[in-house]
Amino acid sequence: MLRDNKLKLLFIWPAAMWVLAFTLFPLIYGLRLSLYNVKIGFPDVFIGLKNYISFFSDHYAINSVIVTLIFVFVGVAIEMVLGILLAILFNRKMQIRSFLRTIMTMPLFATPIAVGFLFITIYYEEGGLINGLLNAKIPWLSNPNWALFAIILVDIWQWTPFCFLIFLAALQGVPDDYYEAAKLETKSGWNMFRYITFPMLQPTIIIVLLLRITEAFKIFDIPFSLTTGGPGTATQVLTMYAYRVGMRFFNFGYSSAISFLLFIIVMVFVMAMFKRIKQVYQ
Amino acid sequence: MRKVRKIYKRQNIKSFIFLILALIVAAISFLPFYWAFSLSIRNPIEAFTVAGLAVPFIQYEPTLNNWKAELETGETQKSLLNSIIIAVGTSILVIVLGTPAAYAIARFRFTKPSNTNITIWFLSQRVLPPVVTVIPFFLIMRFFNLLDTRLALIMINVTFNLPFVVVLMRQAFLDLPIELEEAALVDGAGHFTIFWKISLRLAAPSLVAVLLIVLAFTWNEFLFALTIGTVHVRTIPVQMAGAVDTRGIQFWFLAVRALIAVTPPVILALLVQRYIVRGLTFGAVKG
Repeated sequence: MLRDNKLKLLFIWPAAMWVLAFTLFPLIYGLRLSLYNVKIGFPDVFIGLKNYISFFSDHYAINSVIVTLIFVFVGVAIEMVLGILLAILFNRKMQIRSFLRTIMTMPLFATPIAVGFLFITIYYEEGGLINGLLNAKIPWLSNPNWALFAIILVDIWQWTPFCFLIFLAALQGVPDDYYEAAKLETKSGWNMFRYITFPMLQPTIIIVLLLRITEAFKIFDIPFSLTTGGPGTATQVLTMYAYRVGMRFFNFGYSSAISFLLFIIVMVFVMAMFKRIKQVYQ
Repeated sequence: MRKVRKIYKRQNIKSFIFLILALIVAAISFLPFYWAFSLSIRNPIEAFTVAGLAVPFIQYEPTLNNWKAELETGETQKSLLNSIIIAVGTSILVIVLGTPAAYAIARFRFTKPSNTNITIWFLSQRVLPPVVTVIPFFLIMRFFNLLDTRLALIMINVTFNLPFVVVLMRQAFLDLPIELEEAALVDGAGHFTIFWKISLRLAAPSLVAVLLIVLAFTWNEFLFALTIGTVHVRTIPVQMAGAVDTRGIQFWFLAVRALIAVTPPVILALLVQRYIVRGLTFGAVKG
């Protein structure tokens, strides 16, 4: 039962005003910047959509889009599959399960910048942790393809536990009776997965997918610290490119246009899943 | 009898395999932390020469010199202080602003926009990539002369964490039994008294969990700390990036710094373990 009282306005206005003021205003300001040629010390010149048009003929920008898309989709796909697999595997009564859960909680909140710098030493070619253990000389950070893979691998290390923990929680909500009943019909584990586990997990899969995709598009810290976008521009994701254009070359207008295009890309994915989100918060 | 024993044996082998697998997965998650620790207590000469798992005492003689040197540096102490002030300031402000709003959405009726739409609106703020507002915030803070101040960073962090608090606390209030509040209402208690004396106290565990998660998020924030707080209010992550820039990659110090940065949020994550699934999915999945 919902109540009605004047107090509600007093309660909600401070937060609502804060968010309005501090996101809507910068957002509109950013949109305006993206339509201007902005140079510090000179008056802004309105140039319409020119910043957006030049994006499509800027091969650094196109490269960033491709790098970002590869990072997001390869990374998130692997995290999802691994997360579901591990959750199914360890969804049984084991004493070690709570230990496993505790250990896998650790990477979640580890400071991304620190993780990025730390992985420089882990990926180090001579005497780094991985090459030392494998007794190999993999050019983790000096070869463009390996470098992108290295970034994806860090993301997988940090976020697979996230998928795992959530899917494990979701699986524990599936009543055992379902499996007991199914055992009378079939013995195949694949059928169990296809007709019980997967349908039961589906709402959770959409939520995790949404959360991971929107977060992955925001990635900045890891490439900033681990590879600084290199070698060359092999790991220069869109956020980094926008940051560089803005805060290194002080081309505020073009930088704003780049970040708005990123925003639009993210929105496309969110809109595709919007119906489901609304159901959750009904 | 033999058949039973055979099944029993197969069960045993199966659980043994699962155990090994669990240990491997746990090891992969833990290895980077161990490696950082192992690096941080090595002498600089041994940073590159000791290979593989680098077990202290067996493969090398550990030392605390790197830790001492790093912690005695004025810049490190200053950035620790900055990080703590900004994280605590943000958490308090965001709770003060967010909790009443969450309560209002959970318990009072809104029309145009409806309660659901208000929640979605708060939630939608999380979709915005922070990089979109980096330059606007930079110019706004420059205009108000707030560049390189803790206040600016607290304000920005509040902005990005407020939707998180509102959405999660709304769910926490919704999960409380409404009968208590209704009984108090019948007894003549005011709405504010009910919120302050009953609901807030009952929701305290969620409140603490949300507070700790915001602490960790703010501690970890880098993009805005880098653009706004470049000289006097460097936070731990910015300090770390700066040190690598000026002194080059000294593995032993890098490991110490990484551990200083990582330890508080990792401890916070472990403290809120039971809440983490709910927290990170904005209440959509109940863990």
